[in-house]
Amino acid sequence: MKAAWLYHDIMDLYGDTGNMLVLKNRCEARGIPFELDRIGIGDKADFKDYDLIFLGGGADKEQMSIIPDLLSRKENIKEAMEAGTFVLLICGGYQLFGQYYEAADKEKIPGLGFYAFHTDTGKEGSRCIGNVVVDAQMEGKKIRLVGFENHGGQTVNVTHPMGTVVKGEGNAFGAGKEGFYDGHILGTYLHGPLLPKNPEVADLVILKAMQKKNPSFGWDDLKPLDDSLEKLARNQVFEKLGLEAEK
Amino acid sequence: MKQLTIAAVKTSKALLEKMGRGGSFPGSIALKLDKDILKKIDINGPVILVTGTNGKTSTANMIADLMEQAGYRTVTNRKGDNLQAGVITALLSNTGLNGKLKADAAVLEVDELNIRHILPKLPVTALVVNNFFRDQLDRAREMEQLIESIEKVLPDFQGTLILNGNDPNVYRLKDKAPKAKTVTFGLDRHKGSTETSAEASEGKFCPRCGHKLEYEYYQYSHIGKFHCPSCGFATPELDINAKPDVDANTFTVDGHMYKSPYQGLYSMYNCAAVLAVAKEENIQPEVAEKVFAHAPQPSGRNETFRTRNGRTILNLIKNPTGANEVMKVIEQDKSPKQIAIVLNDHEQDGRDVSWIYDTHFEKLMDETTTGIWCSGTRSGDMALRIKNGGWKGDIHVVPSLEEAVKKAMDAGDNLYVISTYTALVPSRAAIKKEGQA
Repeated sequence: MKAAWLYHDIMDLYGDTGNMLVLKNRCEARGIPFELDRIGIGDKADFKDYDLIFLGGGADKEQMSIIPDLLSRKENIKEAMEAGTFVLLICGGYQLFGQYYEAADKEKIPGLGFYAFHTDTGKEGSRCIGNVVVDAQMEGKKIRLVGFENHGGQTVNVTHPMGTVVKGEGNAFGAGKEGFYDGHILGTYLHGPLLPKNPEVADLVILKAMQKKNPSFGWDDLKPLDDSLEKLARNQVFEKLGLEAEK
Repeated sequence: MKQLTIAAVKTSKALLEKMGRGGSFPGSIALKLDKDILKKIDINGPVILVTGTNGKTSTANMIADLMEQAGYRTVTNRKGDNLQAGVITALLSNTGLNGKLKADAAVLEVDELNIRHILPKLPVTALVVNNFFRDQLDRAREMEQLIESIEKVLPDFQGTLILNGNDPNVYRLKDKAPKAKTVTFGLDRHKGSTETSAEASEGKFCPRCGHKLEYEYYQYSHIGKFHCPSCGFATPELDINAKPDVDANTFTVDGHMYKSPYQGLYSMYNCAAVLAVAKEENIQPEVAEKVFAHAPQPSGRNETFRTRNGRTILNLIKNPTGANEVMKVIEQDKSPKQIAIVLNDHEQDGRDVSWIYDTHFEKLMDETTTGIWCSGTRSGDMALRIKNGGWKGDIHVVPSLEEAVKKAMDAGDNLYVISTYTALVPSRAAIKKEGQA
């Protein structure tokens, strides 16, 4: 599996290294070689060569600095997605795949425009902050996600939300829905980071990425791993939020 | 009204002290009675505020000692109650009913997000700013908004800004304070300075024009000698330029050598800030030297206990930069050791624990580490961090702190306890209780 981590040095506000560590560990535990390239502003890359593109979140000001470079890669990213490259997007990265996002100073920053959703800024600088639990159904599997959200951006007009909010806010205050998933991209506000406490989502990302070269790759091709520590960490958060522990 | 508010604070503080409490509660009452009470205190003499992400408690305490030693009767919020209510408690409990502060100077540690409430209400003569790092993002919000909240109250500030000239996000404050005088401090290049930095870095872009910043050298994280090739924003000629000798833990300023009271470069920055205040207040180097020599070891920084397993060393971690400095110190100890990490997620710890992935716990994962124990309300997240970092030994998850400390001591080696803020006092208690022979 070949992954491209876009703007690793700028869009790394919330421990995103953890997401890459988990993908690497879960691939290697199954004998799948995992190769990660970090791609910064101005670095040459053809995303069609990759099975996965990952883009995390950054602070407003830093996020602004990647826009020209990102927009210059628009056609190449589109071609890669059409060729089956899967895309994992967190927070700022998620916003940038929509029409635009409005920064805290009300400036409208253009996104890649691949999807209809857009992101407005929170009223009077308000932010959705706290633990989040989301129930989703992806690739035939019921998955309960847990994470932490911290975003001023209010993402609306989301045609394919990833899941239903059980605790927390989601795409916007009181949205009831969180993230975006259509089989090509997974966009979400959940960090914590996302993948360490959500091994099923990590496996989903591996599955989708592996399907680029091998369309028949299925859940059964992923050998089960010992996720007892993961379960323990998840249950600590569920208990804190008054939700039933998982068995 | 003013008298009533002052009296209310004094009474409630006296009552609370009898109950063994103190802190910010009396100030909260004062705020309810009169939200502008700070403006009504009559202060004659220097009022020095100290803020920044890391090191503000030690720095403020040393500056308070400096003023005391130089002959000022000094009021300070020494226990680190650094929100508005804590500052009010400290000042009003030393204010007469006539509204006069019963002291010649005030040295106040202030939380970064509370500068905007406090600076405009007091006759501040100096604002000392150490550094800005990512810190508990959910509470402090993104660093940029935090800095802007300070910048907003600077246009009318007529005192002195005492700034770390090696931190671009600190030095930029000067741009927003046209009426203020600026004094800068920093550390000179030494053999440990590096030309690249791999640590979580807040100094990538020029805060003035947005161009990529260049560094002649880094001291740690994004602290170092920087310049912007586009607009010229750069580390200035420093007023206090301390030359470190890291091996001897000393530094030299204007030909005078000082012994640093604590390990690590970041402590020397705190000392440089103290010397900048001394220069500004015309206090002799010998006075500062005495302050450094008698600085108390702050709790939670290599706090060492004799325990039944040998030694137990307690360290507080709050954010990646501070935590990485702790990891570097532990990494130097090549004797066999057990490690216990206590991760809580209460408000003061930061409810978001993702910062543990920006901290290099991998530094603890060598053959001298004989066991890793994870405790606290988020022991599970901590265990996953260790697992994902590639640790091949056993990961013990014991949510009960006392039990974790006991079992780690049972293993017989020296023990390092690494704790987040709300677990610090319970950790110390557990070490003392379980450590008895």
